[in-house]
Amino acid sequence: MGIFEIIMDTLVFIFATNPFSPWIRGVLGGLVIGAVFGGALVMVYLERKFLGDMQSRIGPNRVGGRFGVLQLIADAIKLFTKEDIIPVKADKWLFIGAPIVALTSGFLMVAVIPFDYLYINGNYYAVAVSRMDISILYLEAVSGLAIFATFMAGWGSSSKYAVLAAFRNVAKMIGYEVPLGITIISVAVMAHSLDIVEIVEAQSNLIYEGSNLWYIIAQPLGFIVFFIALLADVGRIPFDQTEAEEELVAGWATEYSGMRWGLAFFAEYLHAVVGSFIVTLLFLGGWNGLPIVGNLFIPGIFWVIGKTIMVMMLFIWIRAALPRYRIDQVIDIGWKVLIPLALLNLVWATIIGLTLA
Amino acid sequence: MDKTIMIELSNTFKDAVSDVDVPSPNRAVARIDPGKVKEIMQFLLDNGFDHLSCVSGVDYPPDKMEVVYHVTSYSAPLVITLKASLPRDDPNIDSLCGIYWNANWYERETYELYGIKFNDCPYMKVLLLIEEMEGEWPLRKDYAGYPDLT
Amino acid sequence: MTHEATQITSPTKPSEILLHLGPQHPLQPGPFLLDLKIEGETIREAELKIGYIHKGMEKVFEDRTYLQILPLTDRICYLASNSNNDVYCRGVEELLGIEPTDRAKYLRVLTNELCRLQSHLLGIGEYATDVGFLTMFIYMVREREGVVSLLEAITGSRLNHNYARFGGVANDLPPGYKEMALKTLGELKKQVKSHDNMLSSDSIYLRRTKGVGVLTAKEAGELGVAGPPLRAAGVEYDLRRMEPYLVYDDLDFKVITQNDGDVFSRVKVRLLEILESIYIIEQCLDQMPSGPYKQDVTPYITRPKAGEVYARIEDPRGEMAMYIISDGSDKPYRFRIRGPAFATAQALPPLLVGGYVADVAAIAASMDSCTSEVDR
Repeated sequence: MGIFEIIMDTLVFIFATNPFSPWIRGVLGGLVIGAVFGGALVMVYLERKFLGDMQSRIGPNRVGGRFGVLQLIADAIKLFTKEDIIPVKADKWLFIGAPIVALTSGFLMVAVIPFDYLYINGNYYAVAVSRMDISILYLEAVSGLAIFATFMAGWGSSSKYAVLAAFRNVAKMIGYEVPLGITIISVAVMAHSLDIVEIVEAQSNLIYEGSNLWYIIAQPLGFIVFFIALLADVGRIPFDQTEAEEELVAGWATEYSGMRWGLAFFAEYLHAVVGSFIVTLLFLGGWNGLPIVGNLFIPGIFWVIGKTIMVMMLFIWIRAALPRYRIDQVIDIGWKVLIPLALLNLVWATIIGLTLA
Repeated sequence: MDKTIMIELSNTFKDAVSDVDVPSPNRAVARIDPGKVKEIMQFLLDNGFDHLSCVSGVDYPPDKMEVVYHVTSYSAPLVITLKASLPRDDPNIDSLCGIYWNANWYERETYELYGIKFNDCPYMKVLLLIEEMEGEWPLRKDYAGYPDLT
Repeated sequence: MTHEATQITSPTKPSEILLHLGPQHPLQPGPFLLDLKIEGETIREAELKIGYIHKGMEKVFEDRTYLQILPLTDRICYLASNSNNDVYCRGVEELLGIEPTDRAKYLRVLTNELCRLQSHLLGIGEYATDVGFLTMFIYMVREREGVVSLLEAITGSRLNHNYARFGGVANDLPPGYKEMALKTLGELKKQVKSHDNMLSSDSIYLRRTKGVGVLTAKEAGELGVAGPPLRAAGVEYDLRRMEPYLVYDDLDFKVITQNDGDVFSRVKVRLLEILESIYIIEQCLDQMPSGPYKQDVTPYITRPKAGEVYARIEDPRGEMAMYIISDGSDKPYRFRIRGPAFATAQALPPLLVGGYVADVAAIAASMDSCTSEVDR
């Protein structure tokens, strides 16, 4: 009974076996969700600095030392102190409810993301707020709530710009949910399960036991389709028509000001962060480190966070490098290019899955 | 095309064109009769002068006002200046919108700044000023509102 | 493209919306109101309402002496200020009957071309933000800094240069200018070539701009457009070749044209004109004669003899002209400014009709208008 076993026994006692465990797990779940929110703040900071680097300019560098780390706090304070304007003709409950729905969608998505899979005292425990058998299906369903949020915002604002932008956004998101769903199904087919934890574990047993290969090697087309559909679903360049300042001012959030706008903006970055997590878990091996070599004695949670930051930087890199599509070209790509490719990937995944099973 | 167009112009429209002057190789000036402006412009358009460069108004108190047209071509450097003299009390002249499409905005601007009416212009509305200032003709020499000494 | 679409009517069907782009809108170079009647995503009618920053320049200029007007001509369009100064000075010089000195002519050509460089760079940058290419905007502004520093070294100010004088220029080149300029321009040439490469090969950009907002040569002629939009349609109309002023007939340069007349061609014409202007500047620096940079006899109060002049110049945006009537006194009798942006702004609504709302930003920005010049 070394120190490690004692610590593990204590942890298991706190979280699993004593009568207050559900409450303790609940508090921990809240902390985890808070941590992921912190992750979204990290993404905003990364975006400003990393994007600035690629555009040969310095991002924030005044607040909080040379690297401007407290800039986001300063922005949040500024947003809190702004006047809360609700347009006279706006539908008040839709207008107020839209950022709330967007954030709720974010909360619900974070609830099933597993960060690690620990083997303690003979049992496997997933480090997640809640572990479900159908977690990837649940995630896909909840991310559709974001569509409601944009439409509520656009319609509730009762302004022509916002309504037009909301129409465009809904059309785009509906179109891209389909390839997203089909790709998820192809991953689930290969892993024989809808549970994210089991999908990651299946990746580690891909061709032979303990191989630690990633699904990006087995389904490269799936990765590409998923990545592009995710860019469109989240609404980042090259698919961010709805925020195209030049076309429809600020899209569905035109009439929002102050902290309401802050929440809407934050919900979008949260969606992007959660998307990055999903890419990491589904295609990049999650907490199982590098292919073939494995963990290299670094705990799995650091691998997950590290890979997610890499994917976030890829999002930002694409934003710096590409222009924006026109809305009809976006919908063309979604229906005419990505769905056939996703179906092709599904066929491939089924064949490969059967061969390797 | 070159300066011979001026000779042709004065030959075709004998009474309407007068005071033809060619001060330099690329500039020609003539004075025209305001009633014949559409025919003269159509003649110039048919002869290759397809770019209406500018339409301005000039105010000569107490009794006359002028509309000055600058017509040039996309394939030659010659600029023809045509001046039409109008009476200051009721200045009106035919609109060129049917011949040169871009005459519309120039005519709207000249109308709102000087009060020169362009007959048959398809869309005459103030361009640069606000609607409340229509009728004040600010660029006339006797405009009372300038300099603004408030 | 219909030519009658200058007036907009209220929506008649429930599927039509009247959308107001402006007067404050992130897409604009200045305040104007672009009313669009759209049905779904297609524009049925468009109307452009201007006059939000009408300053009454023509009336103000009738009350100022000729030398007092000179700094004010900078502000007609602040991006093309050297061109405005130059055309004004040439007009007044023709009325006065004097000519700039030889060295002054080369210096004026030099600053004209530098001004063209920085105007095109910023025009392409603003256009890039409207297409969604944010990085390109920052790169263009970064290149423009070098050019603006060169202008600052000669004229002393970054934006409104006030450099030309009657009979010459305000000051001479600083020592060591030629090496500095050649170095900056060499780097600029390399960067612009790489940007041109990137823009011609980025597939999203090509899908966004090829075949969009087509203005054929015939339509451009009818609409009265000149400058890069006309040259992108294939018409070789450049006042530096057609009516050579200053020393342009001694310099060797090509008139850049493209054939398609769409948004892609207009931007490409501007990019290639940047390279051509760099070539002209290098020739100027080589061929510049020594000598006085202004006439000794420019009086403070200029009284040109009675007469009139219509001076033209190839502005970065098109054909700029000034019509000055002098009555022998020290103030002009009539001062008419004909800006190129007026013609391109008038031509914008017919170009938008029948297209998509999503293309408005790209087309309007590729026409590169300057609201200050439209409204005067």
